[in-house]
Amino acid sequence: MAPNPTHAGDQNRESLDDVTSRAQREVETMQQCSTPYLVRMGPIGLNTACVEGDPIIYFSEEFVEGQNLHSYLHSNGVFSLSELVCLALHISEAIKAIWQFAKIHRDIKPGNIMRRNDSGDFVLLDMGLVFDLQDEPLSVCPVGTPYYFSPEQMDFNNRRSVMNFRSDLFSLGIVLYEMATGNHPFIQGATSTWDVLGNIANATPRSPEALRPGLPENLSSIILRLLAKRPALRYRSIDLFQRALREVETERAAQ
Amino acid sequence: MSLLAQCGYGRGGKIEQGLDEDVIHGVIMSPRDEHRDRVEKAINEWCRSHPNALVMFDPQFYAANLNNPRDGHLSEFDYYNNNSGLGRTHFSGTRIQRYVKECLDYQHQTFGGNVGYLSSPTILFDAFRDSWSQVALNMAVEAADYHHSLKSPRPLLISLVISETAFQTMDAVEEFLDALTEIDTQGFYIIIRRNSSSVHNAMESGPFGRFMYFCHVLTTINEYDVIVGYSDWHSFLLQAAGVTHTATGWYQNLRQFSLARFQPSTGGRRPRKRYSSAPLLSCPLVTPELQDIYLADLLPSVLSRSIYDGIIHNGPAAGEAGWTDEIACLAHWHSVNSLSERLSALPTQRARIEEAENLMQNALTLYSQLSSQNVSFDPSTGPDHIREWQDSLQEFRALAGLS
Repeated sequence: MAPNPTHAGDQNRESLDDVTSRAQREVETMQQCSTPYLVRMGPIGLNTACVEGDPIIYFSEEFVEGQNLHSYLHSNGVFSLSELVCLALHISEAIKAIWQFAKIHRDIKPGNIMRRNDSGDFVLLDMGLVFDLQDEPLSVCPVGTPYYFSPEQMDFNNRRSVMNFRSDLFSLGIVLYEMATGNHPFIQGATSTWDVLGNIANATPRSPEALRPGLPENLSSIILRLLAKRPALRYRSIDLFQRALREVETERAAQ
Repeated sequence: MSLLAQCGYGRGGKIEQGLDEDVIHGVIMSPRDEHRDRVEKAINEWCRSHPNALVMFDPQFYAANLNNPRDGHLSEFDYYNNNSGLGRTHFSGTRIQRYVKECLDYQHQTFGGNVGYLSSPTILFDAFRDSWSQVALNMAVEAADYHHSLKSPRPLLISLVISETAFQTMDAVEEFLDALTEIDTQGFYIIIRRNSSSVHNAMESGPFGRFMYFCHVLTTINEYDVIVGYSDWHSFLLQAAGVTHTATGWYQNLRQFSLARFQPSTGGRRPRKRYSSAPLLSCPLVTPELQDIYLADLLPSVLSRSIYDGIIHNGPAAGEAGWTDEIACLAHWHSVNSLSERLSALPTQRARIEEAENLMQNALTLYSQLSSQNVSFDPSTGPDHIREWQDSLQEFRALAGLS
């Protein structure tokens, strides 16, 4: 069990109501989704308390024994082919589970993905920014980690730009690119966060295969397809994405 | 990919003969042009007599919001008659639900598992960012939702009727594709409303290249089925873009879709007889154009190699009387279908694109050869449309990253 306290007083821009709403969404999402690839609720439900005059909100999550991908990459380097496919299958299953409730995660990044020590399964953490398409938005500003934004996550001009799971697939594409090559696809030449955001919106990343010779061409194409600027050019269903991944596995097994 | 017959007035026995002779592989039925009992009887008979043919029903609901449309027999169909004369204020969520329900219920209850797909009702729009496009999207989403609840044995095609001018702006095309690909459906039935109607009237290269890209994103990338109605000679290029089926009919207004079809007839004379030449990718007049080719001793080079060629083989002028409308229609289907089959036999999209380029280059070479023999063509037959198509294909290749 891992306690998850949030100091509402620490939030500069958000009201207590917003913080409470986010926590409620996080808890609700964990309770709704039953996949093993999403972190589960612990025994303590959503509660509030007052510490030294500050209100806090707390609940507990399952304690995942393992390492997040950010630290894994720094200590162990890039993933093998089978690890990449496994990561893609598990996290896409988590995205699918959230999307069943018309929600998207919005903060998929290496630091939010753990690998369990016991089973080797990957687990998606931190549902605090989950966005419910059927609910009122909690913020008018883009939320998430800018380096892992999808192009539509920062596009307010497109009136049809309602985000869906394909935005999470884009972020997963960045994670897979990093775990395959050791490089972020949109950092080359960037000197600021704005440069990275500009690259996300406009730059075509180098093929992962070019940075990691020997990576199967079809897996490289899958990763690049996740990184397409337009949602229509990614995968229209998680099932199609997973089918493509299984074809990579089948080809590898046949060799 | 296969060619479907786009049905309209004056069906006769062409459909049965076309299916028997394998120059078409299915039918898109238009309720506007025949009594309801005949439409229903014909669909059920085709399904029984040609079980491998793809038969579908185009609800033509798009006539419901045209201004005083010449809508023929559509008023015999409740889903249309209950809801015609629609203005902008008649597309609330509840009303859209009703239009969709009545239209899909009709097809489901009348044709059951006979038709290949159910087709959703839609309305025409001129631009991807106008309010009608949003209505069309709302109708599409509602149709997909209702179809899921219907438990129909047949998959759903979302219908779209789009003006060719909508493809002027790429940003708007991409936005619309983002929205369209959110829909969980088997595929799309797309009609492009043309601005004018002449024998060739190739779409402008830019908009047509973008329409090819639109189809490519839906089919090759997103694995939807896509049927493009009224596509005629454009079929082989759409095949290169990945389209599942195309369609064309017998009269010019069944080969290109324009609103003239729903406006009062202006009369006009009987069209002159034409021969559909697959090598030329066009329809020269039997006389004088095909006759001149014959006199230049080049007739074999423009023939489509169909069983109907015997009629004009010993001189088009002499055979003109035997070149009936029905024969001309079957020969046309043969020509358009032969090009599509040639492309669909190839294993990759790149190979299909290259073959389409070869077909166009060969046609231009043939036109030059004929010109050098002093064979001249009417502008509607001449090679300008091929150059327009070549530019379209280049535009498509660039957009799709297939250069």
